[in-house]
Amino acid sequence: MIKSIFINFKKYWFLLTQLISRDFKVKYKRSILGVVWSLLYPILMMSVMAIVFSQMFRFKVEGINYLVYLMTGLIMFNYFSEATTTAMTSVISNFTLINKVYIPKYIFPIAKCMFVGINFVLTLIPWIGIILLSYVGLGEYTCHINWYYLLLPYIFFCMFLFTVGIGLLLSCISVFFRDMLHIYGIVITLWNYLTPVFYSIEILPKKLQALFELNPLYQFLSSARSIVLYGKCPSALTLLIIGAIGIVTLAIGALVFKKNQDKFVYYV
Amino acid sequence: MIRIENVSMKFDLGIEKNFSLKELLISIFSKKKRNKKSDFWALKDISFNVDKGEVVGLIGSNGAGKSTLLKVVSGVMKPTKGKVIVNGVISPMIELGAGFDMELTARENIYLNGAILGYSKKFLEKKFEEIVEFSELRDFLDVPVKNFSSGMTAKLAFSIATVVDPEILIVDEILSVGDIKFQEKSKKKMESMIGGGTTVLYVSHSLDAIKEICTKVIWLEHGKIVMMGDAKKVCDAYYKVQMK
Repeated sequence: MIKSIFINFKKYWFLLTQLISRDFKVKYKRSILGVVWSLLYPILMMSVMAIVFSQMFRFKVEGINYLVYLMTGLIMFNYFSEATTTAMTSVISNFTLINKVYIPKYIFPIAKCMFVGINFVLTLIPWIGIILLSYVGLGEYTCHINWYYLLLPYIFFCMFLFTVGIGLLLSCISVFFRDMLHIYGIVITLWNYLTPVFYSIEILPKKLQALFELNPLYQFLSSARSIVLYGKCPSALTLLIIGAIGIVTLAIGALVFKKNQDKFVYYV
Repeated sequence: MIRIENVSMKFDLGIEKNFSLKELLISIFSKKKRNKKSDFWALKDISFNVDKGEVVGLIGSNGAGKSTLLKVVSGVMKPTKGKVIVNGVISPMIELGAGFDMELTARENIYLNGAILGYSKKFLEKKFEEIVEFSELRDFLDVPVKNFSSGMTAKLAFSIATVVDPEILIVDEILSVGDIKFQEKSKKKMESMIGGGTTVLYVSHSLDAIKEICTKVIWLEHGKIVMMGDAKKVCDAYYKVQMK
């Protein structure tokens, strides 16, 4: 089975790259700054959020650089939110193709998660810039730079697997149940507030904290933050857990998708 | 090459009804169960073989199940019942240009559409010139396809779809593409593909075209095979019934 997945992947890799590059081309066609927007947009967006939360609302988390705290949460959550939302509609919007030519349908949600993923990697550039700035003395507290940073790609990759799993699940459900497109908009907003993106989990009552820790996204966020902000390596158990979250979610998503994909043609 | 065994295909025409939450709730609470009569059999117990190199025509009135049959063979749809066995690489020419992105240029679409049809990057780079040459659209390579006329789009699509030497070719009424000159050219191209030993499944309403290129014809009506065999015989019988 693993071998057949690998062969399939190799066979459709070119199509995958073409779909991703189509997304890039269509997104930046006719804009003067073009692909620069991939960098500029997150910088400007983060600046707005930073001003709103740290200057207007006076949010802070004791003992650490709040700006970096907020950025880390924002870029990671935004990746998840944008990737799953676009993956959700990917099967429906490519229906004319699915109905005409045989293409493995999972390729569409995966292409979306990867396209948004490339944008995510670009946002890491201004993010690292801010970490370095804090290092030379911007803000009250400095960040930590250490060898644990090498774990960050692993954390992001686990989050990617989790995102693809959710993306597959959503794209499948939305084919049969169109209301999902609207419902998920509400769900993701709620999820945003229930994930400690701009506040710290410590401001919550103890009982609620335990509940909030069950949120997979919180696990990804707090692992990355503990490295960058506290200079601490996440515990081996935590690293194991986030790996398991990624793999299990992907497996569930893939299984549900595989079971139902033959029925797509009748519903879209 | 292609073996179709007792293939049936069911569509649930009532499916539309459960598209939104409101209607789903209504259907749960209302006592009336969904009408079972909404089942529609587009194909009923179809069996036939196509050998290597055979050119098989499919005829029948609109809604007879021709396109559904092509979709089942090309793997777009899984049959409700029965088995489809296909040996060989299929090139589906069902509705040309379905994979075009209108925002992209012709050049970009050649790569995108080629990838969708399953071509490799190497192959496309090698054949790029040939595609451009055949499509006669060299001057418009960097124009977005949305600015193309429908004839130009069809020419580009045809050129991309026919650049391969597929083992099995599935054609759904596309020979009449572009202007007269291009029509002649595309007909020649098809003929050379057929002459090269390609197995062809060909749907058309033009009986003349069918008689000209097909070695065998299958006549479908209401999802069933009415008649199968020699091209001229089946076409004549079909014509008689249609004109009655």
